[in-house]
Amino acid sequence: MQITPQFLFFIEVLIFMSVIFMHISRKNSSVVILYAFQSVFVAGMLVLLSLKDSNWQLLAVALAMFAIKVIVAPRFFLNLVKKYQLKFSASSYLNMPMTLVGLIIFTGITHTRFFEPVAKIVSAASGNTLLLSVAVILISLFLIVNKRGALSQMIGILSLENGIVSFASVAGLEQTPILQLGIIFDILIWVVIATVFASMIYSQFGTLDVTKMKHLKED
Amino acid sequence: MILISIILIPLIASILALLVRKNVKVLNGITIAASVLQLIAALIVVISVAENGTFSFVPYFSVDSLGAILLLIVSAIGFVASIYSISYLRAEVAKEIIGFRRVRQFFVLIHLFLLAMFFAIITTNPVLMWISIEATTLSTAFLISFYNKPSAMEAAWKYLIINSIGLLLAFFGTLLVFTLLPAGEHGWIDWNILLANASNLNPAIARMAFIFILIGYGTKMGLVPMHTWLPDAHSKAPVPISSLLSGVLLNVAFLAILRFKLIIDTSIGAQFSQNLLIFFGTVSILVAAFIILAQKNYKRMLAYSSIEHMGIMALGFGFGGIGVFAAMLHMVYHSLAKSVLFLSAGNIFLKYSSTKIANVRGVLSALPVTGILFLLGFLAITGVPPFGIFITEFYILSSGISAHPIIVIIILFALALTFVGFLRSISAMVFGDSPKEVSKGETNRWLLIPPALLIGILIIISFFLPQFIKSLIDSVVLLY
Repeated sequence: MQITPQFLFFIEVLIFMSVIFMHISRKNSSVVILYAFQSVFVAGMLVLLSLKDSNWQLLAVALAMFAIKVIVAPRFFLNLVKKYQLKFSASSYLNMPMTLVGLIIFTGITHTRFFEPVAKIVSAASGNTLLLSVAVILISLFLIVNKRGALSQMIGILSLENGIVSFASVAGLEQTPILQLGIIFDILIWVVIATVFASMIYSQFGTLDVTKMKHLKED
Repeated sequence: MILISIILIPLIASILALLVRKNVKVLNGITIAASVLQLIAALIVVISVAENGTFSFVPYFSVDSLGAILLLIVSAIGFVASIYSISYLRAEVAKEIIGFRRVRQFFVLIHLFLLAMFFAIITTNPVLMWISIEATTLSTAFLISFYNKPSAMEAAWKYLIINSIGLLLAFFGTLLVFTLLPAGEHGWIDWNILLANASNLNPAIARMAFIFILIGYGTKMGLVPMHTWLPDAHSKAPVPISSLLSGVLLNVAFLAILRFKLIIDTSIGAQFSQNLLIFFGTVSILVAAFIILAQKNYKRMLAYSSIEHMGIMALGFGFGGIGVFAAMLHMVYHSLAKSVLFLSAGNIFLKYSSTKIANVRGVLSALPVTGILFLLGFLAITGVPPFGIFITEFYILSSGISAHPIIVIIILFALALTFVGFLRSISAMVFGDSPKEVSKGETNRWLLIPPALLIGILIIISFFLPQFIKSLIDSVVLLY
């Protein structure tokens, strides 16, 4: 099976657009669904690469990733949204125009001299795809910092991880299947623990807005 | 097989602890047995490494000199913290602060925490090391929120989020280092393979990779400005966990940085990584010194002191030469001294029920032995002679005096500030009359033996460094 660099670039654009829409979205459930879509694209990228190399172990990893990131994690998060009626709490520190400026800056940074060598890791045709995956990483970091909600911060971290996985896939840096499964297992445990913490935070503070947590300052 | 037992013992202990029903004595027995066995296993490995260079089990696990020093620290402090935990939790149960379920949760998680740290040290694969260090975050998050108070919850959340971000950045840096491997290399990748291929690494990628690795693992290590989670987490966790977080875990994160430093240095020379370590080390020492000076909470003060000492170790590796020897020795001394301070701070907390310096007066009259241990710990941690930290700080500064005189002057100033800050707080706590509502007398002798044992070891090795530790550190110096 042949995969053109343009097709990989197209998938990376979809991953990139998912994190952009996470920034724009005000609804928690939308952010969760966008994460599920982003994970579908990342898992899809792995499926394509596994078919290209006839690597069935990689296919198994992609399926495990699909199960955890597309089914289990979003379900956990949507349950949280439903349980605590967290419909509209994905607000951010910066207003929308400033957020958009931030997105432009972080995307632009990937085309500076600092990140220039990254594009040379792969062939010239895939260089931009790799830079776009770095942009996903930076914009996910911006999402974690800019959003006030604990749920959005959690999704930001998982989106950051998706960006790194897509970077590794495009750069041909996949680890052995056992290690990849180890990382996916780690993500599963992280999701469970973070969700439990989010519930505990809601019980203690009555909100998932992290700006309302001020007990450490008062200590 | 002995190497495997080091990770099997805490794993089995954790599973057994999970199965215990309503019997604290069984939990205590499991903890004592596991901590003794893992200490013995670790000592066998450490002595073997000192004699033969490395200790390996198939290609997946191996301990070199650097790993052996870390193994020694984790097992020794792990042993002492585990023994202390038994009496500490008993006292908290007696005060009705916690119940059996919490005690069981504590022991299940502390064994998992130790398991993750042992695994990070002995694995030869950088990705497995990353997974293990991430596992330390996951296993300790519930230990930090142990008391279920809003502030503890907040500290644990901050810890989970900031460390997860840091570790993902470290993972990105790790992947960048992997670009040195030939295309299509998907087999078992260990440190030796990376080192052998280090010259293939693009210099610009090498620089970028080290920046991400330093920021990533530096977050876990507590380097400023990525340190913001540390004072909250270390001050909110139960003291045996604080002693492990401060005295052990930060070193494990530093180990990850040092492993990558070797590869990056082979690729582009040592100057780049040394400059970054000097920068982050200096900033960490300086910021911690000013905050210690104005600190009102003694557990937070100890946490900031850990940031300062991590900065000193980074500086030692940044300066190079004798600084590397001193930094490794400093790691050993700091782990012992910080654990003494946290464990004696635990005794103070049990007696005064407060972590605020203003609420603690007359420790020497209320808790005479704890007061002496706390005072000795203070003298050790601030580098007062004859404690070993005086020598290591002296050597680190002298290794940098010719190339970086201004930085050395800044550090001397910061160390003086730290001493003043500690002296002011400790003297206010230790001397004078204790409040009338505070009963006099130590809570339990088993709360005194662990920190006393540590201070005894610290005093002895300040004067007489065992040959096996010296030979291990010498081997590390040859590498760096």
